[in-house]
Amino acid sequence: MATMNNQDSNNNNNNRQVTAGPPMNASKQPLPTPKTVDTQSVLKRLQTELMALMMSGDSGISAFPEEDNIFCWKGTISGSKDTVFEGTEYKLSLSFPNDYPFKPPKVKFETGCFHPNVDVFGNICLDILQDKWSSAYDVRTILISIQSLLGEPNTSSPLNTQAAALWGNQEEYRKMVEKLYKPVA
Amino acid sequence: MEAMESMERRDAIDCVPGYGEKRRDGGDGGDGGRRLKLAVDWKSPAVDRRVKEFSAMGYDSMTNVSIPTAASKAKEIGKKKRVNRTAKLKQSKLDVRREQWLSQVKNKGCKEEINGANGVKMHSPDVHERNDDRPLMKLEINPVGEETEGITNHYSDSDSPSNSPISHTSSVFGSNRSRSPFTSSSSSSSGGCCSGSMAEEDDGDNGCLDDWEAIADALAADDLKNDNHESPEPPQLNSLPPPEPEPVNVTMVGQDGCCARAWRPDDIFRPQSLPNLLKQNSFPMNSNQLYGFGAIEFGFKKVTSPPSTCPICCEDLDLTDTSFLPCPCGYRLCLFCHKRILEDDGRCPGCRKEYDHHGQGNASLKLGRSCSMIPRH
Repeated sequence: MATMNNQDSNNNNNNRQVTAGPPMNASKQPLPTPKTVDTQSVLKRLQTELMALMMSGDSGISAFPEEDNIFCWKGTISGSKDTVFEGTEYKLSLSFPNDYPFKPPKVKFETGCFHPNVDVFGNICLDILQDKWSSAYDVRTILISIQSLLGEPNTSSPLNTQAAALWGNQEEYRKMVEKLYKPVA
Repeated sequence: MEAMESMERRDAIDCVPGYGEKRRDGGDGGDGGRRLKLAVDWKSPAVDRRVKEFSAMGYDSMTNVSIPTAASKAKEIGKKKRVNRTAKLKQSKLDVRREQWLSQVKNKGCKEEINGANGVKMHSPDVHERNDDRPLMKLEINPVGEETEGITNHYSDSDSPSNSPISHTSSVFGSNRSRSPFTSSSSSSSGGCCSGSMAEEDDGDNGCLDDWEAIADALAADDLKNDNHESPEPPQLNSLPPPEPEPVNVTMVGQDGCCARAWRPDDIFRPQSLPNLLKQNSFPMNSNQLYGFGAIEFGFKKVTSPPSTCPICCEDLDLTDTSFLPCPCGYRLCLFCHKRILEDDGRCPGCRKEYDHHGQGNASLKLGRSCSMIPRH
């Protein structure tokens, strides 16, 4: 029930952390009906995705909604074998807009990631999360894409120029990754 | 009151395109009578399962029941068959089903009418509620040629009450009409159109004809002959073996009166299920209609059968959605999501091409992509 309440309130302040309590919800009861219907379909989609993701058993990726908000997920990605990111694990946050999946979720690295296409704030430069987004993508494909992005960066348009410059030297890069890697407890 | 309602019913019959005229032409005596009898013949199958009850109840109850049954049947079929077919094709199937009824239950119907004609005054009050499904039933051979012949005479009387007002059958028929509140143009019409050939079958061949395909052909042939009313029986009908219902055909059929005629060999929408040469033609025909982009897309479509839920919103796809193929890449989604996308960037989620822009380019590449992007549930 708490989850449901939060989804309601999420209608109004999209992607923000909501401290939902009964009084707050009461004040937000008069929501426009069409909006609610819309949100319902997003809910269904996200729930279906969650089920599919949990059933898929993909190794190296996982994601789960935050406790009280199905519009905000936390995901993890393991660095692929035989890449400089092998053995590291990265946390990500995914926040879904109310018009998901017609619009992409906002995905950020929570764990610092030394990568040509990830900036210091964790923002990711990945086409499918921007102009190449398709509503046919889902959390699973996003996470897989990011996982493969780790090993195959696009160094031609880097967010992290230092990482892009270092990418050519994989040994040095690996050392840098290990040095900067601070796993979230 | 009776007269009014019976008139109404007649109108329903007459309003069928192409049929009413003919019927008025042959309003006198034998030919018109035969047609009407056949109209009844067609209805009788609707009561197939309940033959025993109905023979006790009487003729009028039988005819009454056919109308609601027909309607519900069509609906039911619509629900059951969530196939990727155009509405036209479905319609065709329904028509085929009617043809099957014609052939299978013809004898039954005759017998029943005989019984019914005798028990004129009886009618059951609950007949209108009998709209449930009928299981396939073994047909009985009706060995009584004389009775069948007699029936034909009955109805030639009853067909045009004005011509033979004293005939007892005609009065029966009239009262029956007045009791039935439904004037379903579809059911009465379809019965009417098939009439001529059925009569001929009765005349010549008493056994049930299991080969409804042959009958359909015969019907088509008879349709042409209807005007001169001479109607020699098609030779193959006589030589048909004793009846044996074909379960496969029956299970997939529906009833509808929209275009009430037998399948002609050159019918475009002749259902694929019909075992005949047209099969080969109708299949590519459909594929061209639906996809029109060559064999690759079509093949792809066959490989990935339409999903049961929309990959975008995860809602169940209904019949309209499953037959909705907005993009040649084969990516399917529900109409709501499609509309939503059109309002937005208007690109197919499967191939990212704009929906309007149905480019033919590298279809095979798109295939793989859209395959992988369809969420598996």
